[in-house]
Amino acid sequence: MLIIKIWHYISGYVIIKIVGEYAERLLNQAALQKLYLWDIKRENSNELIAKVRVKDFFKLAPLSRKTRCKVRIIERVGLFFVISKLKKRKSFLVGALLFVAAVYLMSSFIWSIEVKCLDEELRLSVIEDLHQWGIREGVFKYDIDKEYYIDKLMTEYKDIAWAEIEIRGSRFIVELVKKQLPPELEENTPCDIIASKDGIIEEIIALRGEALVEPGQTVSKGDLLITGRVTLSEDMSNMEEEGNTLLVHAEGIVKARVWYQKAVKVPLVEIKKIPTGNSKKSVVFQLQNHILNFHLGNIPYTLYDKKILKEIDILPILGRLKLSIVEYVEMESTKEFLGVEEASRKAEIQLLSQLEEIADQDNITQRKMEFMLDSDEQAVIGSMIIEVVEDIGQKVEIQ
Amino acid sequence: MMEGIKRKLSDALDLPQDIILNVPRIIVTGKIAVFIENHKGIIEYNSELVKINTPVGIVVVKGKDLLIKTIITDEITVEGDIAAIGFEE
Repeated sequence: MLIIKIWHYISGYVIIKIVGEYAERLLNQAALQKLYLWDIKRENSNELIAKVRVKDFFKLAPLSRKTRCKVRIIERVGLFFVISKLKKRKSFLVGALLFVAAVYLMSSFIWSIEVKCLDEELRLSVIEDLHQWGIREGVFKYDIDKEYYIDKLMTEYKDIAWAEIEIRGSRFIVELVKKQLPPELEENTPCDIIASKDGIIEEIIALRGEALVEPGQTVSKGDLLITGRVTLSEDMSNMEEEGNTLLVHAEGIVKARVWYQKAVKVPLVEIKKIPTGNSKKSVVFQLQNHILNFHLGNIPYTLYDKKILKEIDILPILGRLKLSIVEYVEMESTKEFLGVEEASRKAEIQLLSQLEEIADQDNITQRKMEFMLDSDEQAVIGSMIIEVVEDIGQKVEIQ
Repeated sequence: MMEGIKRKLSDALDLPQDIILNVPRIIVTGKIAVFIENHKGIIEYNSELVKINTPVGIVVVKGKDLLIKTIITDEITVEGDIAAIGFEE
């Protein structure tokens, strides 16, 4: 019965008052005409209250004339009337739609920028930088490339260990975790300088403290280079005594020759991909991260490359619906024999690029490269040893 | 005469009597509702009395706060505090 009530509400009905001596006759006539009346109630001796569907109400009028009754509408109920009322109030409807659109539009801008970080100094400077990079209140949120800003933050701030950007509603939230850098030793804290790498001492200048090694001497990692324990007395026999040693904050430059070794392997046979000239296009729909492929059959190629020919943003506001045309290009793999010479040349190029990562060109004192075939003669192994002069001193607090 | 044959027929074939004999079927639900099928219209209605014409005569429903819940071509449902149901020739 609830369903019927809901149906009545949706299609709309009117509550009417039937006034007349022979109201019962009207009811009978209506029933015969298949007009549906319900909840009929006697108000007083010549008045009835009833409910009737909108459609049927209009058919009731001629019957009421025939039976000499008067039918008056007391109340209009249902969705039908709500809608027809809205139809008349066009500006109200437009206003309501505008309101919804405005709420949607306003929520697609960034209205607050939050940086979550324990370090207040870092937090403020990140906020300022974001502001300069274009993240400010009122920016359209769908245009923000989160990856780009994370990369930018990570490269700009060396002391950020982890960063995440989240756009929640109209809030732009950056979460940062600061790197825990090894604590800088404070000035005046007694310390020693030890070797951070193996090497041969080239030059040692003790600005404070006492140098323990001489140029030409070989040291290994962890060896004491400059001590912060300074003996006051010249007399060597008293050295053990506590009172004669002074603890200082050792400082100095310790340059040493250190070596780095790198190796690369270049196979003699190189596999190259060459397009055969065959290709196939397909349409790809992308709704946020969901990808819907419209292939025209399967891709008949065993080896292929994917190329995005065109990317169309359909309705950038509506959940970033993307349409792209993808071309699948068939490839053929060919084997190319490089030869030892060519492979060695390639290995050299790779080694040189690695070299740049290790040290500046100026600091390199010696460079040695060797190329040889590996045991099963399938590849060339290039090895490189470089000698670099660098400061190997590292401060360690005296316990 | 005809009546008698029809009654015997419906007895013999086990057919519903109200269809064969053209008589009303009246269903009473407790003291709250009366459902009359195969009626011929309302004669009188007020909150204490409902008179409904049927092929076998007038069905009189007496009670308090009577309400015609639905009325269509051959069905009527009367709801309210029902006190008595009777027939008038």
